[in-house]
Amino acid sequence: MNSKFSRRSFLKSAGLAALAGGFGLSGLSGIKRVSASDHLQGLPRLLYLFPGTPQADVATVQAALSEYMAERIGATIELRAIDWGAFNDQIGLINASGENYDLGFTAPWTNNYYSNVDQEYLAPIGDLLPDLAPGYWASMTPETWEAARVAGNIYAGINQQIFVKPFGPYIRADVLEAIGAADAFKALTGYAGLTDILAAAKDYVDGDDILTHVTYYLDPIMVPENWGFDPVDGLLVVKSTDASAQVQIFSETDEFRQGAELVRSWLQAGFAPADPATLGSGDEAWAAGLFAVRVSDIVKPGGNAEVEARWGVPVASRAIAEPLLTTGSVTATLNGVSSISANRELAVKFLELVNTDPVFYNTLCKGLQGVHWDWADEASLLIKPAGGAASFGDTGYAPNTDWMYGNVFNSYYTDPTQVGAWPETAALNRGARPSPVLGFTFDRAAVDTEVASVAAVVDEFANPIRGGFVDPATAIPALNDALQAAGIGAIRDEMQRQVDAWLAAKA
Amino acid sequence: MATYSEKLRAQKRADTDQLMNLIGRFSIHLVLTILALCCLLPLLMILSASLTDEIALTRNGYTLLPAEFSTAAYELIFRNPTAILRAYAVTIFTTVVGTVIALMLMSPLAYVLSRPDFIFRKALSFYVFFTMLFNGGIVPYYILMTQYLRVQDTIFALLLPYLVVSFYVLILRTYFAGLPEELLDAARVDGASEFRIFISVALPLAKPALATIGLFTALNYWNDWTTALYFIRSAELYPLQYLLYIIQSNAQAMQLQSSVGMNMGDVPTQTARMAMAILATGPAAVFFLFFQRYLIRGVTLGAFK
Repeated sequence: MNSKFSRRSFLKSAGLAALAGGFGLSGLSGIKRVSASDHLQGLPRLLYLFPGTPQADVATVQAALSEYMAERIGATIELRAIDWGAFNDQIGLINASGENYDLGFTAPWTNNYYSNVDQEYLAPIGDLLPDLAPGYWASMTPETWEAARVAGNIYAGINQQIFVKPFGPYIRADVLEAIGAADAFKALTGYAGLTDILAAAKDYVDGDDILTHVTYYLDPIMVPENWGFDPVDGLLVVKSTDASAQVQIFSETDEFRQGAELVRSWLQAGFAPADPATLGSGDEAWAAGLFAVRVSDIVKPGGNAEVEARWGVPVASRAIAEPLLTTGSVTATLNGVSSISANRELAVKFLELVNTDPVFYNTLCKGLQGVHWDWADEASLLIKPAGGAASFGDTGYAPNTDWMYGNVFNSYYTDPTQVGAWPETAALNRGARPSPVLGFTFDRAAVDTEVASVAAVVDEFANPIRGGFVDPATAIPALNDALQAAGIGAIRDEMQRQVDAWLAAKA
Repeated sequence: MATYSEKLRAQKRADTDQLMNLIGRFSIHLVLTILALCCLLPLLMILSASLTDEIALTRNGYTLLPAEFSTAAYELIFRNPTAILRAYAVTIFTTVVGTVIALMLMSPLAYVLSRPDFIFRKALSFYVFFTMLFNGGIVPYYILMTQYLRVQDTIFALLLPYLVVSFYVLILRTYFAGLPEELLDAARVDGASEFRIFISVALPLAKPALATIGLFTALNYWNDWTTALYFIRSAELYPLQYLLYIIQSNAQAMQLQSSVGMNMGDVPTQTARMAMAILATGPAAVFFLFFQRYLIRGVTLGAFK
């Protein structure tokens, strides 16, 4: 397979190089197209596995990246995107069978980081990072790096992106304008204050032909971050202002009850469909123009433009949740080094390159200048699809997953409304309140059984409460009884014990 | 001589019997109709959804008849049909070639296992039976395929797993064992070799069983997507069901991502996904109708023994 692949990639890149030479194309900055040259053959090749849609033109990008890497770290790269739907299964088998690869995307939500560490599929790189990736190591605070530390060592590099989750409502600008609530919306400090705006929006929606409901899901209101908690693990939370880090059960807090009552009253007021299951997925409905408000989503710099692109209408947003730096939000996107990789140090050097070198990083994210993209405005780092293509997707290389590979603050802007969003996001990260348990990760091993039973209870009892489908007055006590029966108390005690030990070790 | 009242009683009894019979039939038919509807309605829903206008679908939800008829989803798929045509080619190839090879491997194996005079019969039977009960699990399977056989990302990875299925071998063996011994003896008297007996006598007699096992195997190949999930990386080798799975699960993964605030690009529309489902299942349904009579005869095979 390998020989076939390199032959194909050779033919393709050689052909393209000939083409480029013929047209006299050459980028002044950025990485030029190159043929797969012989002098790269002897170098170690790093195999990088990550989820994504395989790109038609990956061979060209891979050859260019390899050339660039060869000069700097003496290695080349093979990019292997595995389809989103297959990634978790395939990399699981690759890990379990001891198949060789060097770098792999890992996170708590796919190719689970913690179980990878637990199974020793990932190499400890905590000691290598400061020496072999000094720029990368210095680009984040020590507290941030602590978040990736498991059982005493760091097993993956963190991709800088938005670490905080300042949740808040989004509303269609035309609706907000029509109901004359712009000032009230801007002054919002809590979700309770949103009720009047939603009620006014409902009147507007009722008189509109296309809009069917004010909003769709109400559940996002019930994320712990909206109520000032760090969701350490499931329903077990720590109040962001609680320096003593007392572990609480979210469903037993006053905030949970208030939130549930609010959501219930909104559902009863008809702000959201009583049977959302028949409505398909959220985004399609919003794109079809059925809803006016998204009650709670991450409000971030450039976020309005992103939502506008999805919904097709301008929107306004207002952050309500306090920006909070938590272990979960920092470790959302990681790249690990396989424990059986023979090129562990080179892989760490790759992490340095991809996280600190904007030219290298953007080639990986966006492809080659002149082939896949061109400057729209170099001064503001804004790019456009190359050769007059209608979209980046038409250029043959547009993975559109910058956050997967490295520091997104180095990424070029693709939309004029995004320009300037990265420094703002970085400032948001810096200004965020660190959770009292930032860097702590819960080891579930001792309470595995209870965790599984609690998850079943949450599915059965908690989700209807979050959506407002049941009366909180009776449903919350029922939920808490079921949680206690499932052993949530044992999980809380175990977590508190681990948190106390972690705090003591830190002091 | 039967009295009039006796006649009347007999008549009444017959009437009651008939009524009971009618009620019995009616209730059986009712149950079967409900079961049939349970199977058919979801399929019809998908068909209707695939022919509905995207926005109308989102507004009205799934209905049995399209609220606003539209073929946009099919047009979208057939605007760039390479992926689906290729997937059809892969699936048809594995189904046809796989089924033929599988029958060529399983029928001789089953035949020798059915012969009482075969010396390794017990050992070989045990070998077949044992693998039906126990297997190494997914990781050893993956290691075998990728590190020893080295078939990952080739068409062989899709063919190998269903070539010999122990359970089917046992069904075939039972059928072969049930063939009248006299017919085989007659051939022997005529001087036929064991191989000739198998080819010219046993195989033609076993046609119903072969058709059944062939159908099962074909369905295995047609519906298989897990093998591709584990072993196939190149999009050119995606079989149909896996393509369908990938489209659905990519859409889910993308929605998960966009819900945590990461931009994922275009999610295929609901109607397009439904249209894909119809395009992938439609031919299999026709296939089934064609082989149905063999299937029904085949599944009752075990009952004779």
